[in-house]
Amino acid sequence: MKFLIAVGSKEFSEPTLRVGLQVAKAFKAAVTIAYVGPKVSEFSSSQVRFTQERMEEWEFDRPGVEVLEWAFNFLAENNYITPTMVETGFPKNTLVQTSGSRSEVYLQGTVCENVNLILRNGDIIAELRDEVQRGGYDVTIIGGSQKRRMAHDLVQYIDSSIFIVNKYDKNKSYNLLLPVDDSMRSPKAVKFGARVAQAFDIKVNLITVSKTDTFGEGYTQASKRATKLMRRAGINHEHRFETGDPVTVIKKAAGNDHIIVMGASTKNPLFKFFTGSKPIKIMEDCQCPVLIVK
Amino acid sequence: MLGFSQRSLTNFLFWATQKKWFLITMLVGTILILLPTPSGLTIEGYRIIIIVITALMMIITEPIPLPGIAFYIIVMEVVLGIGSPEQISKSFMNDAVFFIMGSLMLAVTIVQQGWDKRIALGIIRLTGNKTKNIIFGFTAISAILSSFIGEHTVAALMLPIVMTLIKYTSEDRNKVQGLSAVLLFAVAYGALIGSIGTPSGGGRNVIIMSYLREYGISISYLGWMAMAYPLVLIMIPIVSRILMTSFTPEYVHLDTGVRKLVVQVAKAPNLSGRDTVAAFIFLLVFLGWVFLSETLGLGTIALSGVLLYLIAGFVNWEDISRNTHWGVIILFGATISLGANIKSSGAALWLANQVIDIFGSIMEMFPFATDAIIVILTTTLANVLSSSATVAVLGPITLNMGPDTLHLGMVTALASAFGFFTAVAAPACTIVYSSGFVRAKDFLKAGWKVGTVSIVLVIIYANTFWSLFF
Repeated sequence: MKFLIAVGSKEFSEPTLRVGLQVAKAFKAAVTIAYVGPKVSEFSSSQVRFTQERMEEWEFDRPGVEVLEWAFNFLAENNYITPTMVETGFPKNTLVQTSGSRSEVYLQGTVCENVNLILRNGDIIAELRDEVQRGGYDVTIIGGSQKRRMAHDLVQYIDSSIFIVNKYDKNKSYNLLLPVDDSMRSPKAVKFGARVAQAFDIKVNLITVSKTDTFGEGYTQASKRATKLMRRAGINHEHRFETGDPVTVIKKAAGNDHIIVMGASTKNPLFKFFTGSKPIKIMEDCQCPVLIVK
Repeated sequence: MLGFSQRSLTNFLFWATQKKWFLITMLVGTILILLPTPSGLTIEGYRIIIIVITALMMIITEPIPLPGIAFYIIVMEVVLGIGSPEQISKSFMNDAVFFIMGSLMLAVTIVQQGWDKRIALGIIRLTGNKTKNIIFGFTAISAILSSFIGEHTVAALMLPIVMTLIKYTSEDRNKVQGLSAVLLFAVAYGALIGSIGTPSGGGRNVIIMSYLREYGISISYLGWMAMAYPLVLIMIPIVSRILMTSFTPEYVHLDTGVRKLVVQVAKAPNLSGRDTVAAFIFLLVFLGWVFLSETLGLGTIALSGVLLYLIAGFVNWEDISRNTHWGVIILFGATISLGANIKSSGAALWLANQVIDIFGSIMEMFPFATDAIIVILTTTLANVLSSSATVAVLGPITLNMGPDTLHLGMVTALASAFGFFTAVAAPACTIVYSSGFVRAKDFLKAGWKVGTVSIVLVIIYANTFWSLFF
């Protein structure tokens, strides 16, 4: 598997990187850490690039390199890269421009063979979408954003599962909330959830929500399969059935001490664009990390 | 749905999201074209106004690359019958476009000569190590240099110097936040205020000169300097003072930073024959601008400078070509074509009359009101799109807003430099912003003060100094 972790700054991205790497480790996934710098107005783009080239002659790094260096140090401290790499330090000289504003540096990992660091500039959604298409990533991990449309755009346009590490506190103990239903992507979400629970060694709260008082055959079968999988994997879990509006119920159940893992909506993209979807609403409203499995 | 796969629908939605401002612009354009032509305006005049509105919307939001916007302007001018293909292509190119092209190329050449280290040494020798003197020094030197070589060139030259000084003062960014902001803004704002001083300070000045020529008014390089340079000299200490009060530098003296900077720049090789020739070529360009611009044109002289640098082998064409933004040059050509057609179609006069109709009573009551309207309008637009594009589009309108065309043109040109409010308003601002040491909100923090003072100052200056001496 391949994971893409998007970091924004040293100040705010530490939880994203920590959680992202922990999950990636559980999946033994290849990891790429990407920093997307702000988009520069086209009027000034060539002058800014030219100035940055001059800055390098004065021994200044181009903006964003310090974020990659911080990510390198984090990887080194947490033993995600080989001791040889740690000894030689951040290899900024091998940061190669691959196309346009995209630059890349390769590191040797310990959990998986390759750990890449990538520097890009531009619109975050467009850049991450391009990176996911180029690298064929399975999961994109990113921190929470103040922009309301961000969650929607990530889920709608990025062709991988999306994990938004929203308001994660490493000192807090979390449980995993796993909504289960008869949708097409629910089984994959359950498998994913089990791996995440194992990675964090946390309890799984399975929840099946129906809008009416009755639970159809599909719902009960799905919940039975999920429970069986958890039991076989030796994961501490419990299951409950709830009635009500799924978004409200899941939001209430999650509070701020759960990691939510759920399947992506299979609704038509046009409908999702105009009316949204349950996963998008949960991602926008919940005050905790949410993983939408595609 | 209709045979489209989910992936192709998603791709379409992504395209629509990325291009939403293009789609909105096209919708606005279509609605406007369906509306009846306002009375007193020719059909060509109305159509050119629609092209202006839609082009400005796209320049501000950048939904498509800049050359794409230029092509849109050209295509629409021909398709909507503003002029024949021959007329439109002729209006696309003039000396101002040559000047913008030449000055962008000269910027690449000058920056590559490695004069930044000598400039650093010069500033430090002049100012010593007192922070307030250094801030004044950076503002003044940036202003004086940008008068002759353009604001973006100055920002590119000065940024490494300032960053080095900051780095040597403290490696911890949090301990030099105020100092970083004040020094970087001294460069950006200094470069902006200096760019009004001479015609070669910016493409916008040359555009106004070409518009004035169409009204039979010719202003020489020295004539421009006589009108504008005193304002630069007045503004340098004021801007420096405002910056000092807006951001509090953490250090009163920069002993360590200055000492280390001097050591670093002292490593630069001694002045060579090549350096002297490079400086001499620029001196020739400057003298050409001063004494020959009325016969040869500022643009031709700028290109002569580039030619001399190429002949001397001080720069290679690949570097010039790679670092010159051709898209910007094409777009300026298109906006100049727009400006020419706004005037020839009668749209400029009509728009000027609309402004006079709205503000007529105020303009009669207060003698400075016309200047105030022009300055506020130009400054506002210059902060959301390129200053040259602002002048290219607004110039034909503002020149029709009163009897003293030279006065109105100069006021428009000066106000177009006041891109103090946002990080994207001017290349100098974007360059210092790209350092990552100042935040977008810092531009508003200092910008509103510098901007307001500049607006008031230019109105007073234009109505006192020019009235007395011109």
